[in-house]
Amino acid sequence: MTPRSRGLTMTALAAPALVLMVVVNAYPVVYAASQSLRDGNLLDPGDFVGLQNFTEILSDPLFWRAVRFTLLFTVSGVLGSWAIGYALALAFKQPFRGRGVLKVAFLLPWVVPVVVTSMSWNWLVATAESPLPRLFAAIGLPDVLFLADPTMAVAIVCVFKVWISFPFMFLMMSAAMEGIDPSVYEASTVDGAGRWATLTRMTLPLTAKSTYISWVLMSMFTINDFPTVFLLTGGGPVDATTSLVVLAYRTVFQSFQPGYGVGVAFIMTAALVAISLALFRSIRKVD
Amino acid sequence: MTAASRRRTLPRPRRSGQTPWAALRPALLTIAAIVCLIPIFVVVGLAFRPLTTSSTRGMSLESFAYVLSDTNLLVWLRNSLVATLAATLISVMVAAPAGYVISRGRSRAVSAFSLGIFVVQALPVVIFVIPLFILFSRVQLVDSLVGVTIIYVASSLTVATWMMAAYFDSIPSSLEEAAWIDGCSIFGGFVRIVLRNSLPGVLSTAIYAFLLAWNDYLIALVFLRTDSHFTLPIGLQTFFQQNATDWGPVMASAVVMMTPPIIIFALLNRYFSVGGIGGSLAGQ
Repeated sequence: MTPRSRGLTMTALAAPALVLMVVVNAYPVVYAASQSLRDGNLLDPGDFVGLQNFTEILSDPLFWRAVRFTLLFTVSGVLGSWAIGYALALAFKQPFRGRGVLKVAFLLPWVVPVVVTSMSWNWLVATAESPLPRLFAAIGLPDVLFLADPTMAVAIVCVFKVWISFPFMFLMMSAAMEGIDPSVYEASTVDGAGRWATLTRMTLPLTAKSTYISWVLMSMFTINDFPTVFLLTGGGPVDATTSLVVLAYRTVFQSFQPGYGVGVAFIMTAALVAISLALFRSIRKVD
Repeated sequence: MTAASRRRTLPRPRRSGQTPWAALRPALLTIAAIVCLIPIFVVVGLAFRPLTTSSTRGMSLESFAYVLSDTNLLVWLRNSLVATLAATLISVMVAAPAGYVISRGRSRAVSAFSLGIFVVQALPVVIFVIPLFILFSRVQLVDSLVGVTIIYVASSLTVATWMMAAYFDSIPSSLEEAAWIDGCSIFGGFVRIVLRNSLPGVLSTAIYAFLLAWNDYLIALVFLRTDSHFTLPIGLQTFFQQNATDWGPVMASAVVMMTPPIIIFALLNRYFSVGGIGGSLAGQ
């Protein structure tokens, strides 16, 4: 067959995805870009105002608070879920009784909808009568209202995110460990490597590429994560847990300033792409 | 298979050194799992607790009876099932050919396509929402399950395509090449040789698309406006906001919502593989 007919078939195979990307992604992005340069509302595009939305965003203290929270939320979410997922993947490497059932059990925080788990976390921590504050009181710790105190609310949201995300890391890291050739370990045992040395000198380096990839993916999932924060705290108390996505959502749908909200989302995307590119460089170095 | 062979090949001294840990491991992991699942036990426990009007001991289905008779739960469940199953099916139909192109194509255009798919994942949904809302309102797709289904397919596209591509990478291209020599077209080779041998990859992609659509909150929140068009997350959240202290009925609805994804994972988890999804990303 000719290269030409091959090219045509490949184009046809990619066509449904391409059409979807143009209609649902490309066209809206162009529209949103023009929105970020205008002062319109949800229905009226408004007048062209240049970079005014962006200068307004960059001089808004709330934006910088959101940047700080988003960084904390993303770094703790990515590294926390990776550390737990990695430890679990190590623990599940060899077969043992009940492995299959336990594996499914550990996947549930990720499988169960966040709408559901945010409600049960709310039940566990929200009021003074909730189980966790009562447990704190019982063991003599000071009274804290977990979702009313800014610092505690930030901590709870980050822990909630780690709890939701670690199963995904567990799956990714398990797959990475399965990909290691067992003979590598035989060689190291012959050389008398202890378990710690095996982990730090063999397993970690051999899974480094998957680790970096999982960090890129989880950073994207976490920075763009709206429901986890919004359903648990709504961005409060006093904006302490307002992430950039929640800020963008609120300015668009609650204060009806799409130019500002979409501008925040674009700044966020630029940062995300920059972080991803930096991590890609690390991935290539590993190869 | 790899796990078993690895165990057999481990030399003795190492294994005996692991004995205490190996014996304790199931117990320790069970305790860890129980602690980790407390928030999910809470949902089930509250759902089956008798409503305060009657006795306060034992288990009861009162909360379930209440939500079935007093809310639109069954309508929301049906809407969720329709949108999710449609999105799952279409996702696989779009992602499988796209994944094949990424897996087998070697041209510049394919690299650009691959990069485009990555950028789509990096963009937050908030950016698309208003333009799509305006676009969809012109064609009657706002407050419609068809509208949200289209967006679900688009949102799952990136990871679904990576999953399919990763699975196709594991199928040797010599298989199709042999079929081409026998006069099979490229499309025929894709469908009859590659796709036919990719059931685990297809299942994995379908599970991912199902979870994404079933668990979505933001898109349904923006696009679905009337109660009879709500999917479960929005119906449940609205019900929760109105009856925040009525934990029994709220959690009974939550049990209904979390059951389908749990069943799917309990039955099909061994097919679900996220291992390869970053591969095409790192190769760029």
